[in-house]
Amino acid sequence: MEQQSVISSAAGAWSDPTQPIDLHKRRRLGESIIRVSLIAAAFVSVATTIGIVLVLIFDAIKFLIRPEVSLWEFFTSTIWQPQILQFGIFPLFNATVLTSLIGMSVALPIGLMIAIYLSEYASARARGILKPTLEILAGIPTVVFGFFALGFVTPLLQGIFGKNNVEIFNVASAGLVIGILIIPLVSSMSEDALSAVPRSLREASYGIGATRLETAVRVVLPAALSGISAAVIVGISRAVGETMVVAIAAGAGPRNFANWPEALKGLNFLNPFKAAETMTGHIVRISGGDISYDSIDYDSIFAIAFMLFILTLILNIISRWVVRRFRQEY
Amino acid sequence: MRRILIFGLIIAALVLAACGGGSTEPTAAPAPAEQPAQEATATPVPAEPTAEPAQPEATNAPEPTAAPEPTEASMPSMGEASVMDGKIMLPEVNPLEVTGDVIAAGSSTVFPLAEALAERFIDEGYGGNITIDSIGSGAGFERFCVAGETDISDASRPIKDSEVESCGQLTPPRTPIEFRVGTDALAVVVSPENDWVGEEGLTLDELARLFSSDVTNWSDVNPDWPAEPVKRFSPGTDSGTFDYFIEAVMTPAFGDAAEEQLLGASSLQLSEDDNVLVQGVSGDQYAIGYFGYAYFEENQGKLRDMSIEGIAPSRETVDANTYPLARPLFMYSDAGIMTSKPQVAAFLNFVLSNVDDVILDVGYFPASDEAINQARQAWLDAMGQ
Repeated sequence: MEQQSVISSAAGAWSDPTQPIDLHKRRRLGESIIRVSLIAAAFVSVATTIGIVLVLIFDAIKFLIRPEVSLWEFFTSTIWQPQILQFGIFPLFNATVLTSLIGMSVALPIGLMIAIYLSEYASARARGILKPTLEILAGIPTVVFGFFALGFVTPLLQGIFGKNNVEIFNVASAGLVIGILIIPLVSSMSEDALSAVPRSLREASYGIGATRLETAVRVVLPAALSGISAAVIVGISRAVGETMVVAIAAGAGPRNFANWPEALKGLNFLNPFKAAETMTGHIVRISGGDISYDSIDYDSIFAIAFMLFILTLILNIISRWVVRRFRQEY
Repeated sequence: MRRILIFGLIIAALVLAACGGGSTEPTAAPAPAEQPAQEATATPVPAEPTAEPAQPEATNAPEPTAAPEPTEASMPSMGEASVMDGKIMLPEVNPLEVTGDVIAAGSSTVFPLAEALAERFIDEGYGGNITIDSIGSGAGFERFCVAGETDISDASRPIKDSEVESCGQLTPPRTPIEFRVGTDALAVVVSPENDWVGEEGLTLDELARLFSSDVTNWSDVNPDWPAEPVKRFSPGTDSGTFDYFIEAVMTPAFGDAAEEQLLGASSLQLSEDDNVLVQGVSGDQYAIGYFGYAYFEENQGKLRDMSIEGIAPSRETVDANTYPLARPLFMYSDAGIMTSKPQVAAFLNFVLSNVDDVILDVGYFPASDEAINQARQAWLDAMGQ
């Protein structure tokens, strides 16, 4: 139908020899609508990002120039309790780093092993089972993971390490579950990177007598390093930004310390079996209550969000740099 | 060609939808209250030839002293008040005949009670809307007395003089009338595995110290108790329960530093979600927490409640006013609102007549007969009966 009309109109143009042939590009309405809407779609994401960043910056500055807040205290104090004018980002930052580290220490090895298995070892049938399973894992709402941490992992940890050593809300269970949560992300991105390594490299490796493991670890893995590093850093960003799991399982109050010696005593600040509140968890808890605008608590959550934004921004910049730096062309 | 066009249109529509979604900025703060449609919901007040024409602003709320005719006209089903067994019985209200909306806001503690009563009111045939916002007692009075936009203010503390004052500055001025609806007791709870605090429970001073930054281990309060860190669980700082704890427990012990003492304490978990507190306390042998008695009742098997000053929370001790951590629950309204919006008067009537039937289910304690009588009398006075 469509083609017919095109042909007939073309035939019409040809049939009149008195008219000069129009060699201009024909304007096609459909094409331009698509173009405009695609540009608009791209613009939406850019505009939203800019808007969010501006709001974050303005409100964070509004918080930091309050007379009650000093920038020095913000970065050096070990207590975060806005209601009594204690603003030290350390307890929240520490918890975020701790949960992310624990999460990555689970997600990185397991995710990478899954990726190597999928791209180097797995039969078509095994892939057919494993990949959808991973996708299902990626599709589970994080709030479910949160209750999984609180209702299953925490009791498990309490069973292993003793009920008195593991608090009901603790960083370890939240971190472990975050790790499980980001396994699909790390494994699928790493697998893409591994699969992109040309077959010729593997064949060359087998040709000189390398085993499968040697080929995977010494040839394919280094060749895919740039993609794998990107996967790791995106995974860290995801862990840093994860909210529901930590809000439910990690704790509902910052792990404050009276002072630095108190925090460093016995590496208290690193204890994974105690409760702590991450930056995201704190924002969620504070904004869940009915605090009023212009109160100092309200502004303080923007400062935290801004810190979080900077953290993920730095990670993204590093990831881009790594991808470029280690990219190998074949 | 046509397919491409349709495709393009779909994309454009999607983009527009996305744009629309993107531009509405999500805000963390509670949504602005709907303007109470006083104009819209005001029932037709029969013209009163005797009404003072000197009232230039034709506000819809008539003077509280207005003649009772309009009330009777709009509430045909109201019978007469009577006295039975020493209890004042309010004229019965038929929810089927009540129309118009009611807007209430205030204490999160009163909220479940108000909600239960509203549900019952609707079940029995009331056709309008009751909006109840759980925003805290203070914020509730702000909307009642400063913004003047709510009909009923729920509160878990008596109104302050300053709030009465700002109510008086509204046009038309509001004179808050207090209706006592019940009593809430604060339950102080520990894990069932806590075997060192005996039947005698805690004194108020011990309780305050357990929640203060001066104390790290249980043994700091009583040397016989274990040298293990106290894990503290408290409702969030926005809740009336937190305010009440500060006022009733921390302030007597620490004065002005009360809030600082509590919030500066280590191992402190604050949550607006009482289930988080229940979970936290029940899961840790060295934990202590507090919240409304209702939540304790729901979780009796998982928690152990503490006697305070040797008195355990129960209906008897709360009634006798001996349990130290009990606080009254109120609803406030104003005679002008009640006469101009009969649905508000009808709802309050329904509340005062039925609150004792639902309050135990909600988890609070009934107010004494005397207090309920007082509230009912206040309702009759406000309605000019």
